[in-house]
Amino acid sequence: MSRHIVITGLGIISPVGNSTTDFFNNLMAGRSGIRRLQTDFIEQLAIRIGAPVQNFDPAAHFSKMQLSGIERFSQLALVAAEQAVHDAGLELAEAEMPRAGVCMGCCQGGVGTIEEGYVELLRHGSTRIKPLSVLLSMNNAAAGHLSIKYHLQGANMTYATACSSSAIAIGEAYRQIKHGYADVMLAGGSEAILTLGAMKAWEALRTLATEDPDDPGASCKPFSKNRNGLVLGEGAAVLVLEEAERARRRGAKIYAELAGYDCSSDSSHITKPDSAGQTRTILNALRDASLRQEDIHYINAHGTATLAGDVEETKAIKQVFGAHAAKVPVSSTKSMHGHLMGATGAVEFMAAVLALQHQAIPPTINLRQPDPECDLDYVPNQGRHGVRLDAVMSNSFAFGGSNAVLIAKRFNA
Amino acid sequence: MDTLQTIKDMLVKQFDLKPESLTPDATLESLGLDSLSVIEFMFNLEDELHIKLPEERVELKTLQDVVNLLNKVIAEQKPAAQ
Repeated sequence: MSRHIVITGLGIISPVGNSTTDFFNNLMAGRSGIRRLQTDFIEQLAIRIGAPVQNFDPAAHFSKMQLSGIERFSQLALVAAEQAVHDAGLELAEAEMPRAGVCMGCCQGGVGTIEEGYVELLRHGSTRIKPLSVLLSMNNAAAGHLSIKYHLQGANMTYATACSSSAIAIGEAYRQIKHGYADVMLAGGSEAILTLGAMKAWEALRTLATEDPDDPGASCKPFSKNRNGLVLGEGAAVLVLEEAERARRRGAKIYAELAGYDCSSDSSHITKPDSAGQTRTILNALRDASLRQEDIHYINAHGTATLAGDVEETKAIKQVFGAHAAKVPVSSTKSMHGHLMGATGAVEFMAAVLALQHQAIPPTINLRQPDPECDLDYVPNQGRHGVRLDAVMSNSFAFGGSNAVLIAKRFNA
Repeated sequence: MDTLQTIKDMLVKQFDLKPESLTPDATLESLGLDSLSVIEFMFNLEDELHIKLPEERVELKTLQDVVNLLNKVIAEQKPAAQ
């Protein structure tokens, strides 16, 4: 008998809220977390907007001693995980620990620590850098800390597949349970890339949105004719995944069933998105979930607001859904929380799961100029309450061609 | 210079440790310093005291061990100041 995987806990630290309630309420209200950055390197930036986490005080969560060894991206992950584990009421008996694991996504790890080290060495001519630089900056630090804190003795893995990192982390955690290697997994992603070096690198690639002259918060405009790029954000999202029988036995609150997943590659270009590869990924995920096109009632788009990306994704959705494509609401919540890179897949899948829970669809904000090449229902500017959602999908399409699609559906006990 | 006092002041500042717990015979472990915290702390001591600690790891169990090591290094590297 095949094993089912359910979602029993959610935790998030994001540019639009540091709890699942705030996060989803702000998305439904169309509130943007994108703003002018306040940093000491602002003068060096050509594009001065981003989506920073607000009201996050590391000292409220960690001692000074802990902070000397835990980088920002790991701090965000640990606090999000604490929420998720608490939300799930998760307690592991000693015998269960070897069958519990963690999968996290992250693109650039402790890039802030690496940059500080370079400043010391190259600008100040120092002969040494922070002694814990390796442990602070390594990409798998967040997953390592989660494994230690929650006694997760099963798989402990970190995926770096650019924009799909944490979608793949969630999908691979799902496979760990589905294929019998684990019964419980923490899965998600974290990223802290609002640093000078990382921001300049993205700037140089000419993929960042320029600041909206009237409202910085409205700078990211997915699917709109006047869109001109993505906005970098930071944060973390962590989910508790559990084998369904286990969750039911302990009487856990079940948000949804994680019903399907696929990851596959465009294998065509290092940055240019390709609807053919995206189409394959979505079709494989539907097959994995044993669902038909008509069963999907909402798609949280990758929707980066780049010129090519939004058109290709629209094409892929039309290719897969055919006549049904016009009837499926598709929204890009990146318009509000920005692009959290290694954390973005998890943040957006969480938005989709919360949509399912609340039977409500968050909007794509800043969509005021229709683009003939983007002609689906993108839920423009206004969230929708009181809708019927049975199954939802979240798309993540990455540089490197690494695509991931996750599908959640209402859990039928 | 009172080496012990310098160490105490730094531990309080860097790690929020309670001053009354910082006796010479207190073990680093009992103070909550694992091997990584010790490395971090030694790094800051180098800055504070303008010295260079040995590259190889030295076995340090108690605060007195740290005092002894520092006094030895200070004597070697700053003979004029003694």
